[in-house]
Amino acid sequence: MEKLSAKSDPIYLGEAIVKKALAVMIQHNLVKFQASERNNNVAEYSMMHHNVYCLIRYPKYLYMIKRIYGTSEEILLEILLNLGQASASNVIFHSANRLNEANDSEVLSPSALHQSFQRLAQDNFIIRCPKLAENATLLKVPTLEIEEKEKFAVPNVEIEPIARMLKEKATQLGGHCDSEIIWRVNHERFDIELRNVILVNAAARRVDTTAGELYHLILKLWRESSNPDSPATTPVSYNVIKDAVRKNDSSPILLEHFDHYLRVLHEDSAGLIDKPGDAGGGQFNLDYSKVFENLACASLDSIVLERFGSKALRLFRLTRIQKFMEQDQMQNVAMIPAKEAKMFTYKLLEHNFLQIKELKKGTSNFAPVKSFILYHVDLPQVVRTVLEASYKGLFNAMVRQMHDLTENKRLLEKHAMLESMLERLKGDDGVPEEEIAELSDTMHPAEKSLVEKIHLMSDNLTLGQTQADETILILESYLKFKSKEL
Amino acid sequence: MGGRGRGRGNAVSFNIEQLGFGRGEAGPVSVTQPPPLFPSLENRPLPLIKDVENEYILVTQKDLSTRMRNSPFYLKKSENPSYEKELPVLWNRMPAELRETLPKRIATGNSKVTLNAKKKKVEDPDKIFAKLEKKERNESEVEEDGDGKEDEDDQDKSDDEKVENEDDVKEDLDDEMDDDTDYANNYFENGEAYLEDEEGQDDGEAQF
Repeated sequence: MEKLSAKSDPIYLGEAIVKKALAVMIQHNLVKFQASERNNNVAEYSMMHHNVYCLIRYPKYLYMIKRIYGTSEEILLEILLNLGQASASNVIFHSANRLNEANDSEVLSPSALHQSFQRLAQDNFIIRCPKLAENATLLKVPTLEIEEKEKFAVPNVEIEPIARMLKEKATQLGGHCDSEIIWRVNHERFDIELRNVILVNAAARRVDTTAGELYHLILKLWRESSNPDSPATTPVSYNVIKDAVRKNDSSPILLEHFDHYLRVLHEDSAGLIDKPGDAGGGQFNLDYSKVFENLACASLDSIVLERFGSKALRLFRLTRIQKFMEQDQMQNVAMIPAKEAKMFTYKLLEHNFLQIKELKKGTSNFAPVKSFILYHVDLPQVVRTVLEASYKGLFNAMVRQMHDLTENKRLLEKHAMLESMLERLKGDDGVPEEEIAELSDTMHPAEKSLVEKIHLMSDNLTLGQTQADETILILESYLKFKSKEL
Repeated sequence: MGGRGRGRGNAVSFNIEQLGFGRGEAGPVSVTQPPPLFPSLENRPLPLIKDVENEYILVTQKDLSTRMRNSPFYLKKSENPSYEKELPVLWNRMPAELRETLPKRIATGNSKVTLNAKKKKVEDPDKIFAKLEKKERNESEVEEDGDGKEDEDDQDKSDDEKVENEDDVKEDLDDEMDDDTDYANNYFENGEAYLEDEEGQDDGEAQF
C-alpha cells in the first residue's frame, strides 16, 4: 500500500502529471484505491500486480475471443481494453464506429453488437465494476460496492440514441441511460481460459485432435458444475458426457469412438482425466494439481534438455522419479559413464535443478565421519527458480525491444511517413511512376534494410515474450494449485 | 593439520577419491574473477514458434500499442494542466483529490502573487536599483544575485500558495504532519523547485 504522500515528490514529475497518471491507471484497472483508515478524506493507492502483468496477454485474449465467437465480439473486447472501464453503450458505440471504418460495405447494427455484448457477459469474460455507493458523491474518496448477482447482469441499452449518433458521425456518445453501469475485462476468466487452452493442446498432442475436441467439451461441463477456486473439479458422470457429445455438433469420429477416447485420455499418464468412482457409468473429474504438476515437470524437462543435453535430462528425470538417489546409483541406473555423470550432476546442482540432502552416519568419535549424500529434486523450489529466470528473460526481451525501438525512433518514423505517403500516392491513379520511384529513393536502401532488420528483431522479441509468458503461466498455475491442495 | 586429529591423527576427514579426482589428476580450477555477465550459450536455443496464432498476436500487439500511444491516455510531459475535460476518465469514480487541478490554485494564487509582487516592486525600487548597480559592477556575481532575486520572488509565490493551500487542504497537511513524514515540509520549503518544474527533465521516456 502506498500512501498518497508518495506523490509529493515533484522533483521528477509535476504534481499534475502524477495525478493524471494515477487517474489513468485506476481507469485501466492497474491501481485501486480505498479510504485511509485514519482519515476518510485521504485515499491510499495500491497496485494490482496481476493486472499489470496481464497487459502482455491482451493479444492472446483477443485471439481467443476471435476463435470462440467472432469479429464483432473481438472488436467489443478491443474497445473495452482500450478504454479500460466503460459503459455498455459506450463500448457498443465505439465498436460500431470502428467496424464501419474498416468495412464500408457492411454496417453492423448496434442491436447485433448488443447481443454480442450479452454473449460476452454471459460467459463471464467481462464483468461489472463496483458501482458508487449511495452517498458516495459526498465523500472525498468514493466507496464502490457490488453484489454477487449483479456482476454479469447486462442492463437495458437504448439502441435508438446510439444509432442516431452513429448516423451523425459523432465521435462521442453523449449521456445515456446506463452510463453508471461500468464494465471491465475479467482477468480471472481469461486466465482460466488460457489454462484450458493449454490442457486441450496437451490432450491433442498426447492422443489426437479428436481427443482434444472431446476434452474441450468435458472441460466446459466441468466449468459449469464446479467452483473455480477448488483444486479439483466436481465429478461428472459418463452419461452426462455422452449426452453432451451427442447434443454438440461433434465430428462423426468422436461420436463413434467416444468411449475409446475417454478411456485413452483417462489412462494416459498425464492425468488429464481422473476416475474417482464408477457410479453413473463412471465418474470423471480433473485434479488440477496433478495435471499441472505433470505439465510443470514436462516444462522443466525440456528446459534441462535444451540447456544441458539429453544425458543431463536422464539424470534429472531419474532423480525426480526416484525421489532420493546417491551418486553411484545415479550413474548406474542412468547408464552414463562415471565422469560424465559427475559432471552433469554438478552442473545441475550448480543451477539449482538438483538439491542435496546429507545424512550423517557417524558412529564413533574416532573414525572420520561418513555421510550419505543424496540428490533429490525439490519441485516447488526448482519451479520457483525457473519462474524467476523466466521473468528475467521476459524482462530482458522487453527492455531490449524498447531500447532498439527508441534508438532508431527517428529512422522508424521517417520510414512510416514514407510508407503512408506512398500509400496515398498509389491510391491516386494520376501520379506518374517516376514520382513514386523518386519518393521511395529518398530513403537509402541500406536504411531500408536496417528498418527491415529492426522490425524483424522486434517481432522475434515479441514472440519470445509470448512464449516466455506461456511457460510462466504453467509454472505459476502449478505453484498456485500446489498451495491450494494443502 | 599435523597433530590435531584424534586417534591416529593422520587421516583427513574425507577420502580424496570421494571428491571425484584420481590421485594424479589436477584439482579444480580456482576461480579468480566473478563469472562473466553474459556467459556464452553452449546450445543454440530452439527456434520460435511461428504459427497462425503467433502471427495474429504480432499484428495485434503492434496495433494495440499504437492505439494506446495515440490515445489521450498516453501522458506526455508538456500537457496543458487543465486536464479534467481532456482525459476520458470516469472522474466521478475517483478520489476527489485527483480531480483537483493545480492551475485552479495557481490561477487564484497568481492574482494574489502579482498584486503582492507589484506592491513589493513599487515599494522597494531602491533595493532593486542597488542590486542592478551591483550587477553592473560584478559580472561574475550576476548569477548569484539573479538567483537570490528569484528566490525572493519564489518565496513570495510559495508563501501565497501556502496560505491558499492551508485553506483548502488543511486537513491533509495536518494528517501529513501527524504521520511523521517530512514530505509536507520538503514540498513547500524549496522555492526553486517551483520554477524548475518545466525545465528539461530528462528521464528519457521510452516510446515505441
